[in-house]
Amino acid sequence: MLAIRFHGRGGQGAKTASRIVGTAAFLEGFVAQDSPIYGAERRGAPVAAFTRIAREPIRERGIIAHPTVVVVADTSLISDPAARVLDGVDEKTVLFMNSSLSAEQLATQISLSGRVTALDLTEVALQRFGKRGAISALLGAVAGRLVGLRQESIHEAISRELADLGLAPSVIEQNQVAARHCYDAVPVVALETGSRRVPGSTRLRIPNYEPPSRGTARISAAANSLLRETGGWRTFRPVLVPDKCNGCWLCFVYCPDGVISMTKDDRPVIDYDHCKGCQICVQECPTRALVAEREKEGEAAWTAK
Amino acid sequence: MTWQRETFKKIKQVPREEHVFPGTSLCAGCGGLEALRLASKGLGDHVVYVNAAGCFTMLAAYPFTPFKGSWLYTTMGSAPAGAQGIRDALDVLIAKGRLPKEENLKIVVLGGDGSTYDMALSSTSGAIHRRLDFYYFCYDNEAYGNTGMQLSSATPYGARTATSPCSLQHQAGTLQEKKDIFEIWRAHKPPYIATVAPRYPLDLEEKFARASKFEGPKLFLALSACPTGWLYDPGETPEVAKLAVETGLWPLKEAINGEVTHTYIPKLKPVEDYLKLQGRFRHLFEPTLQKEVIAHIQDRVHRYWERVNQVERKG
Repeated sequence: MLAIRFHGRGGQGAKTASRIVGTAAFLEGFVAQDSPIYGAERRGAPVAAFTRIAREPIRERGIIAHPTVVVVADTSLISDPAARVLDGVDEKTVLFMNSSLSAEQLATQISLSGRVTALDLTEVALQRFGKRGAISALLGAVAGRLVGLRQESIHEAISRELADLGLAPSVIEQNQVAARHCYDAVPVVALETGSRRVPGSTRLRIPNYEPPSRGTARISAAANSLLRETGGWRTFRPVLVPDKCNGCWLCFVYCPDGVISMTKDDRPVIDYDHCKGCQICVQECPTRALVAEREKEGEAAWTAK
Repeated sequence: MTWQRETFKKIKQVPREEHVFPGTSLCAGCGGLEALRLASKGLGDHVVYVNAAGCFTMLAAYPFTPFKGSWLYTTMGSAPAGAQGIRDALDVLIAKGRLPKEENLKIVVLGGDGSTYDMALSSTSGAIHRRLDFYYFCYDNEAYGNTGMQLSSATPYGARTATSPCSLQHQAGTLQEKKDIFEIWRAHKPPYIATVAPRYPLDLEEKFARASKFEGPKLFLALSACPTGWLYDPGETPEVAKLAVETGLWPLKEAINGEVTHTYIPKLKPVEDYLKLQGRFRHLFEPTLQKEVIAHIQDRVHRYWERVNQVERKG
């Protein structure tokens, strides 16, 4: 059995990618299973999805603890402990990273024994679609290539899954063309599936009943959400061009998260530890003094806080 | 008679101080959070938020809170009942002298449209009937957003949701009309109700300033443009909210002791301008243009504003 685990941020298309691979495998006559992790559906928050492919009926259920392939749509997730990207990864696991860095650079930075391959899907999407957005078809194509599915079945699966989401035929075709490019471009790493150890069963612990006065979660701190840094959600960051700013306050007023404050002489200061990169300030700035810059990857991105 | 803002005339009057802090896991570009942040500038820190389950569950995800004040979490149907309990407790403590009057708190219910329009309707009706002194802040993103955009009774006609997809049998997607919760509240005769949109911050702040003078139930219906569920790019949240108002689909209004005033008269741009921006309406344009559906939405807007003109602007 092949087990593929997708990690992405809400809105990137990890869930749809898992469906594309599942459908493509099904079209080739395999038994396939795909499911996302259940949780609140949220743009920018870490999400995971799972695809299992086999010739025999699949009895395993739930999350994939020991993946054959891990597909990472956003490398900033690696340093997020909640995302658990590297759980169950060993020297046999193939790791795909959507990254502008090379596989060698990534391997040294994450200091990992797994086998790494990479391709800059965000760049492909920017060039072909003209904007950032879901890269589900591209992730699906790459994952399909790595596990040895045929290009034609990926093509058909993209068509079915994206049509299900209500996308226009022209958009679907654009996705198929870009996916084909990624299918051909991704450096392939051979899979080792022979001697995978079978994971033991996990024991469930039944929690004790506590009365509401003890059993209810309580937070006795004030505004401690500041400790949670949501800056890693960004693919683009707003950057101020000071000369163009007319000090109008609109960025400060419209920022949903309140991460922009105004100095005494009416210049915005952006809290990059928490800015989620929604680009509202960039869109609303009347003098185009705020511009979107793609987040650079580097060593700083890997240091967990 | 045109409505005048008395306090908030310039954008730089929006208070600098923050009361909802960053670090929540609400979506990037959340229109509901944008509205709450602006609302909180009018409410201050002496507040107990009573939060019905919904997207705003993620405001205070254990062990973190974005508030300096208090936050109580309830089921979707029972936030107004929770508000009553807190109000009573505060009143009793103050009456007994166990809590100084200065430490009195405002009670603010936070509910999504699923709570406000559907599940909490009966407990809300009870709370208004009892003249409970509280604010009700509804972040209306027109569907059950936290669980993946299922149809609610706030979903407008023609929108596609997870449970009202565009299908051969139902090509328009949602066939029901959006419930008029403003009028349902108004029928209860509360002292103050208003609709707001975060793209109109001065209108919003002014309304919170006006509401603070009234004791009793006060409703704020906040248009909460939702990039995740309405399917547009997060940066376009203000633009979507602006077009909702400018096309006349989301009227900005208030009702003081039942008397309605529209606080902004839009130029009524064609509804297509608003619909086209959002993926949830794309099936009305592609693969075939559903003229009747769009005409129906447009017609409803025109009829609404004709009535407004007749009632409010006679002579």
